[in-house]
Amino acid sequence: MLQDAAGAASARAVAKVDEATVIRAVQRGDQDAFEQLVRAYDQSVLRLAMNLLRSPEDARDVYQEAFLRVYRNIHTFRFDCSFHTWLYRIVTNICLDHLRKRKVRREESSIVETADGPVDRMDNFEQEGTHANPERRFWNRELGSRIDSALGGLTPRERTVFELRHYQGLRLRTIGEMLGTSEEAAKNCLFRATQKMRVVLGDLV
Amino acid sequence: MTCDAVTKAIPLYYYGEVAPDAEDAIEEHLESCAQCREEWGRQKSLAATLDRHELAPPPELLAECRHDLARAIYREEAPAVRRSASDPWGLFREAFHSLWHPGIRFRQPAGAVALIALGFFAARFTGTWPAGASFAGFATPDAMVSSIRSVQPDNTGRVQIALDETRRRVISGRLDDHNIQRLLMAAAREQDNPGVRVESVELLKDRGSSAAVRGVLLEAVTHDPNPGVRLKALEGLKSFASDAEVRKTLAQVLLKDQNAGVRIQAIDLLIANQDAATVSTLQTLIGKEDNNYIRMRCQNALRNMNASVGTF
Repeated sequence: MLQDAAGAASARAVAKVDEATVIRAVQRGDQDAFEQLVRAYDQSVLRLAMNLLRSPEDARDVYQEAFLRVYRNIHTFRFDCSFHTWLYRIVTNICLDHLRKRKVRREESSIVETADGPVDRMDNFEQEGTHANPERRFWNRELGSRIDSALGGLTPRERTVFELRHYQGLRLRTIGEMLGTSEEAAKNCLFRATQKMRVVLGDLV
Repeated sequence: MTCDAVTKAIPLYYYGEVAPDAEDAIEEHLESCAQCREEWGRQKSLAATLDRHELAPPPELLAECRHDLARAIYREEAPAVRRSASDPWGLFREAFHSLWHPGIRFRQPAGAVALIALGFFAARFTGTWPAGASFAGFATPDAMVSSIRSVQPDNTGRVQIALDETRRRVISGRLDDHNIQRLLMAAAREQDNPGVRVESVELLKDRGSSAAVRGVLLEAVTHDPNPGVRLKALEGLKSFASDAEVRKTLAQVLLKDQNAGVRIQAIDLLIANQDAATVSTLQTLIGKEDNNYIRMRCQNALRNMNASVGTF
């Protein structure tokens, strides 16, 4: 057990050294290294944007904007935090901007009215554990729309903290660092977000 | 610890975000308080529900994002490439490295631009090498040896080497020049270099009114192994979506292409001009399509055409 932990810690240390080498190569203008860096993180960036914004079009915009900012500003990265934190700070800032703009335009629903009746755009995207049973699918859709509505009731910051803690598994201290706030403030956000979710989803869980 | 304090701490306790001594106190309380245990159960159930509702971006969305990013970086880079064009051989080295170094995808379009720019500068600075001329010595920068045929030493200490050489020529011209178009059509079939193919198809896609160019685009849509090239070729066929041959190819693409992004684009083009054959293609597709979004697009299109969503 102890050996496993030591092995994992040493693997992380090696990965960090390798990543630093890759980042330095990107800073020297190595395009191959940039592609390597993008591919190491882009799936989790897209997943974060998709879950935060619940819109594939917006997630696509965030993906592009985030990696272009990395490309333009990588020379300013000074290794005083992890690259992951730096990148996620960029991504969450862009997502927060999107969420705030959306708040101004009033919360957008993923459900759009069509000639065939209401269609949920997010039905086109697989959810973890989606079941083939039609009854189960109906239930999932119902639950999905309630979850969307619960998420819509959170402030952009609460939503971001909740997403980063619940889905991305980041510690509140790191989340505070990413959002330029304290761990305590992130803790309060998470608490409020959970309480609001429980009020909206209370009868379903 | 009171029930009120434990209830308030449960969300943070769930995420492992309370101090170790508070954690011990909560656990102790939960063991002895059924009401708070129920609250704890609700928290776990909420989290499990949210876990099941996590969205996973489909692979084709990731592929499209990567493609868009490569294009955006190419657009950012292009001015820099043009700036460095005052050194043609440096530019050539860069272009060569970009186009032939395996694994570099972000730079391939920039490499293609560099080679086109090189054509202009090479013509100005180096002049033209006469076709078929053999070189004396190794100062010729644009000659490449493809194979050595024989090596024959003589008595004087010299050696005679017979070799086949290939010569790189750089040609530049306007896009409406027939010869340039022919070269671009050949480049669009360049098997080993998807970067060259995607750039060539990009340049040809606005010239689909020529039957020959349209033939190249149709060939790329059907046979090119790279989805980026196929998508570009589909863009070029947009204005000819009512043409019978194009429609036949689009139907084939829709039923056979492995890439969902390509299939989505093919649907868009097909349903822009509806006919009986489209109905049958869409009905066949619904039966075999795995992608929810594409199935929904087909169903909507069929309903708009007053056709049934399945064959019975």
